[in-house]
Amino acid sequence: MAPSLPQFSAVRMRSYIFRLPLFTRSIILIIILIWIVSNQTVWDVEKWGALIPDEIGLSTMYRTNTFPLVHAGFFHAVMNIFALTPLLERFESEHGTLTTLLLFVGPLSTIPALLYTFIETMVLHMNTAVLGASIWVFTLLAMEAMKTHKTNPHFMIGENKIPTWTTPLVLVLFISFIVPNTSFLGHLCGLLFGYGWGLGYLKFLVPPEWILRWIEGKMNLLGRLPHYVSVDQKTYGRFGASGVLLRRNPQLLKLPPYLSLLFIVVGVVSLLVLPLNEYSRTTYISENALLPGQVHTYFAGSDQNVFRGYKQEVDALGDKSNTEVNDKLEEFFRASGLKVARQRYKYKSSGQTYTGENIYAILHAPRGDATEAIVLVGGWRNMEDQLNRSGIALILTLARYFKRWSLWSKDIIFLVTADSEAGPQAWVDAYHDTHQTPAIDSLPLKSGALQGAVVVDYPFDHRFESLHIAYDGVNGQLSNLDLFNTVVSIASGQMGIGVSLQQMWKHTDSYKDRLQTMLRGMMKQGLGHASGPHSSFVPYHVDAVTLQPLGQGWQDEMAMGRVVESTFRSLNNLLEHLHQSFFFYLLMQTNRFVSIGTYLPSAMLIAGNFTIMAIYLWVKSGPPPTVSNAVPANKVGKKDLTSATTEADPKERELLLPLAVVAGSQFLGVLPLFIFNHTTRHMLTAVFLGFAVINSVLPFILSATLTHFFAPTSQQYLLIKSFSLLLLGLYLSSLATLNFSLAFLIGLLATPLTYIYPTPSTTALKFILKAMLALLLTVIAPTAVLVIGSWALGWSIEDVLAEAAYGWDVWGMNTQVVVWCVWWPAWVIGGILLFGKPREKDGQSVAKAAR
Amino acid sequence: MCQLRSLLLVLVAIFSLVHAISDYHEQLVLRPLQPSLLLASFNFQSNTSWESFEQQNFRYFPRSLGQILQHANTRELHLRFSLGQWDAESWGARPWGGRREGGTGVELWAWVEAETDEDADGRWLTLTNALSGLFCASLNFIDSTRTTKPVMSFQPSGYHTNSTLSNLHLLHGTLPREVVCTENLTPFLKLLPCKGKAGISSLLDGHKLFDASWQSMSLDVTPLCLPGSEECKLQITQTIDMVLDIQRSKRPRDNPIPRPVPSEELKCDTSKPYHSSDVCFPLDTTSQEEDWSLAQIFGHAMKGTCPLATDGIDPVCIHVPHARQVYWSEGAQEHKDKSGYMRCFELAPESDFEMILPRQEISEKAPLEQPLLYAQRSFIGYGQERGGVQAILTNPSPTSAVDFVYMESLPWFMKLYLHTLTAKINGNSEDVIQEMYYRPALDRKRGTQLEVRMFIPANSTVILTYEFEKAILRYTEYPPDANRGFDIASAVITIGNVSIRTTSLLLPLPTPDFSMPYNVIILTSTVMALAFGSIFNLLVRRFVGADEAEKLDIRMLRRKVQAVASRLSRRFMKKTAKQE
Repeated sequence: MAPSLPQFSAVRMRSYIFRLPLFTRSIILIIILIWIVSNQTVWDVEKWGALIPDEIGLSTMYRTNTFPLVHAGFFHAVMNIFALTPLLERFESEHGTLTTLLLFVGPLSTIPALLYTFIETMVLHMNTAVLGASIWVFTLLAMEAMKTHKTNPHFMIGENKIPTWTTPLVLVLFISFIVPNTSFLGHLCGLLFGYGWGLGYLKFLVPPEWILRWIEGKMNLLGRLPHYVSVDQKTYGRFGASGVLLRRNPQLLKLPPYLSLLFIVVGVVSLLVLPLNEYSRTTYISENALLPGQVHTYFAGSDQNVFRGYKQEVDALGDKSNTEVNDKLEEFFRASGLKVARQRYKYKSSGQTYTGENIYAILHAPRGDATEAIVLVGGWRNMEDQLNRSGIALILTLARYFKRWSLWSKDIIFLVTADSEAGPQAWVDAYHDTHQTPAIDSLPLKSGALQGAVVVDYPFDHRFESLHIAYDGVNGQLSNLDLFNTVVSIASGQMGIGVSLQQMWKHTDSYKDRLQTMLRGMMKQGLGHASGPHSSFVPYHVDAVTLQPLGQGWQDEMAMGRVVESTFRSLNNLLEHLHQSFFFYLLMQTNRFVSIGTYLPSAMLIAGNFTIMAIYLWVKSGPPPTVSNAVPANKVGKKDLTSATTEADPKERELLLPLAVVAGSQFLGVLPLFIFNHTTRHMLTAVFLGFAVINSVLPFILSATLTHFFAPTSQQYLLIKSFSLLLLGLYLSSLATLNFSLAFLIGLLATPLTYIYPTPSTTALKFILKAMLALLLTVIAPTAVLVIGSWALGWSIEDVLAEAAYGWDVWGMNTQVVVWCVWWPAWVIGGILLFGKPREKDGQSVAKAAR
Repeated sequence: MCQLRSLLLVLVAIFSLVHAISDYHEQLVLRPLQPSLLLASFNFQSNTSWESFEQQNFRYFPRSLGQILQHANTRELHLRFSLGQWDAESWGARPWGGRREGGTGVELWAWVEAETDEDADGRWLTLTNALSGLFCASLNFIDSTRTTKPVMSFQPSGYHTNSTLSNLHLLHGTLPREVVCTENLTPFLKLLPCKGKAGISSLLDGHKLFDASWQSMSLDVTPLCLPGSEECKLQITQTIDMVLDIQRSKRPRDNPIPRPVPSEELKCDTSKPYHSSDVCFPLDTTSQEEDWSLAQIFGHAMKGTCPLATDGIDPVCIHVPHARQVYWSEGAQEHKDKSGYMRCFELAPESDFEMILPRQEISEKAPLEQPLLYAQRSFIGYGQERGGVQAILTNPSPTSAVDFVYMESLPWFMKLYLHTLTAKINGNSEDVIQEMYYRPALDRKRGTQLEVRMFIPANSTVILTYEFEKAILRYTEYPPDANRGFDIASAVITIGNVSIRTTSLLLPLPTPDFSMPYNVIILTSTVMALAFGSIFNLLVRRFVGADEAEKLDIRMLRRKVQAVASRLSRRFMKKTAKQE
């Protein structure tokens, strides 16, 4: 069995190692474990386990058993393992695991040990401690030598006949000469026992076979233990439970559904504990160059008069057309000594056209050479379509004020967009030259690489109380946490202005409020739409935030201006692009966050639940094991093993139909994606209703078609589900690294799909169950979730769908791709499964498996 | 006495002989630009005869530079230090037709005489290293990856005999990252005969120069020969051009913060209906001429004239309409130009010169010269893998076409895809590229060199784009400082005698997060140092009680002395015993 050196091959070696029987494995493992344990200093394992003749008494008899397992060091252990493994493996395969266990725990170690103790103390009057498995090595060697001697008594060296049984003796001598610190006597005692065994004098020590058989049969050892070698001589060399058996282990096969449930529960719980202090962290400024709030701000005094002047002008322009407004703004910017340029854009979405003209002015850094720039943005009208009157006036005043400073190291671009949705996108696209010409103009004037952007959204006249920061970009991308922290630190630390986020106007820092903030953030991230003009900048790796003053308080517009001034001074300090802090985070308070390392596992666990079930279903759909035939004598084992497998046909998996169904449903997803992105706005509600109706009966129709034309077997149903869940798990786990929130939300809504099986409505109870499942499936349908979600948020379906199409056309938002091409196909497959009727023969077993 | 006088006479005679060809003159031209900016062009020029240069007989020519040129066999040298961006749209054409300016940072090109390319490279290396020391700039970093050999863009401006011309090698190198500052100005001024102590160079102050919106320092050494004569001379021209913000320059140095002015001083448009004591629409001040004076702009008045300068050239000129009021200090004489926009001043040699221009409502402005071409270059695209460069070149002239050479020298890690090079004229793909010279990059050996001869018809815009791939650098190849990106040298546009440089670009490359290992190393090193220090201290230092220490010391000393003495005596005794 042992590989002979000339024909050594890695494959044989590997298979040899994989086929090592149970007891050999255990001994190796124990030796290694003891070696690991003996590395600590608290408990001297060697002293405890060694065979020290003087220490042997009734209470320390254990030493006669433990000494072969304890080794004096790493090399000792390794050498002995190498020597022992082939010999022990051969012995075990010959005599069976149970016999080997009994022999090696009992007589094979105690008898040589006692012999050694006796000679050492009585005859030699010495006290040499011995350790290590080498005593077994020599016992086994002696046994082998005697066996060889019987078939092949001599070998010749020259003329002399040398009996083969002496070879171990020679080896003992050699080893005692060559290797230091070896016990000659110990090895000799082992040899002696081995010779005794080989000569047959010690066979009486073997426990009677019938007892062993009885134990083996009663406990079903062959079925339960992997790599077990039966006592039965007929199964010589054939190992009972192997890896295949382990895979077929009915106990193990029951596990995955519970495991996937556990994954879901742990995933959700691990998200819910995030707001606790133990799992979240307080924010900190990572980029030292930012130095937020370290500069004195001078935006005050007579500049307020100028601001009031500009605001009068902006108010007067309130109702004018875009071009008139820009003509006037151009005049203002030019008067401040800046270079001005304009850009027209035109987007089409849901049959509507969105046009406008952006205007921007560049303040060249006094000594710079236009390699870097920061942007101050204001939408002429904000996201709520209000006139951003104070915001624009503030930008005009700041432009005039910033021009006076000579410390700018980066160009400053003042951008006034016609609206807050399409305008910024058109501008930033054109800045990076990725825009669609001729609908969107190229920029006639450019500066260097954009390093950051701050948006001012200040649509009212009165003084404000606190500042709301929007930081999330399109598709759930976030700007660098350092930028957010800088603004928070400047507003609250330097200016004494309260800061809020995610429309949480009142935040008491309780668990509930933190959780709510986090969930709102996740919701916004998951939907992936723009939350302000800043959102368009984020996909280009330009970190941006929108600042929105709110409430009635005593902070005036100059305080807002100073926040912007101080933020710009911080950004101006930057030597490198913002990269130090996190890009993936969930904020739950202005100064508390969790980073990706902490929150990612929850989405990954949800995604993992699908993958585990997919693997489980794949295994379950596979060919049945043939192991049961191997142990005909073992009735108990047979009964357990065969029950689940006898009726499945031993053929290969039929993959074509399942693959076709899953691939078909995936491609089907393109249909709603196309329809909803290309329907005109006023038709959207009608089209959606039509689609919802079709969608609710679609699984039933598809399932009926499938059963009628193809009559899939239960195995094929299992495979359909397996593939569908595999894809879902794959998509969601990769999506989780890009847009955690979306992956988590979709994953959560798709979890019921894990537990849907073809349920034949044979009895009334089953019919009710099926009806309930069908209801659940309807509720978690993407269309139903859309309806419920928009109802809960108070939006109309038309608005939601138009916004989605707008996002697709303008922002490059891809939430709907995930909904229609990842989630919806999985849901359709779920429906096909629920209404599926496996071919009569297999119906029973599948239903049983579903339990 | 008589002898001395005759000796002096002889000396003067010799001097005047040399003087015939060696001369020096300097001139400052001031030109107000819009809005509220002032372009100040300083020009220092000296000539020396070729013979005296060969004999190392330096008078006005700086010896330090002369010896470097001789050592490196450099026949013609051009060195530029520049900062900032020239705004051609509002400031018009560049001073000196752009010939005396370089791209951002440092630019150096020279014609080196050598038999072979290898010799030329070796001499170029000598030259850059020597100049690096002379000008306190990192010119020694101009290695083979930053050196190009332009084919079409640069022509020698001096006169070279045909025999030397065949052995001349043009080498060109740029350091776009180099920040030009006072340490470059000081050695620059030291090359001048008056060394910044008198004359127009006394106005040059690092604080003002480097606060300018745009500034350029240049140094050119060219051999010149009078046509038809064998008499040749070497000319060194040093210029400093800067665009100063008048308002900013007028701020006192001890209080440079632009605080908001008191509301009484705010210039408001009173015609607005809402105008009141606390609402103010700022008045457009571009129509008004700012008031300023030399002392306000440059920090102090001009300290007389440089006594070494040749007479005949007025040292200070100002480019304003004759209607503009100008007041100047006593002793100077005004010379008005016939064109109506230029006046120069002849100064009294010893007294300080000051010039004041008061605030004045004046509609007449000195005309700005229109540039031949507007050039704008920027990066397009995004991401870590690829990018593109877009150069927008506009010919503003309604009548005449422009023929020019566009030269890019790109670092090797910006891998140009030549097949993506396209030129669109007014949005249409037309064949405007007439000739192209392309020398591809070799990784870590040399950069890309691209020269394109193009033609832009009147009143049209050419958009030149090309794409490139960003190479991934080895971590040791990143500069050790904060990684803001890599600066890409300006493109050089040559239109005959005029040259235009675009701005430099900032190329972000995929970068590992260096700061993290750096922080870890710093932190562990600190901990290690602290731990090692204290443990080493504990191990090595012997602790004794304070009272014991003193006693021990005396005793120890005595014992040691005794021991040494006894050992010596014993040895001595032994030796003597043996000898006996």
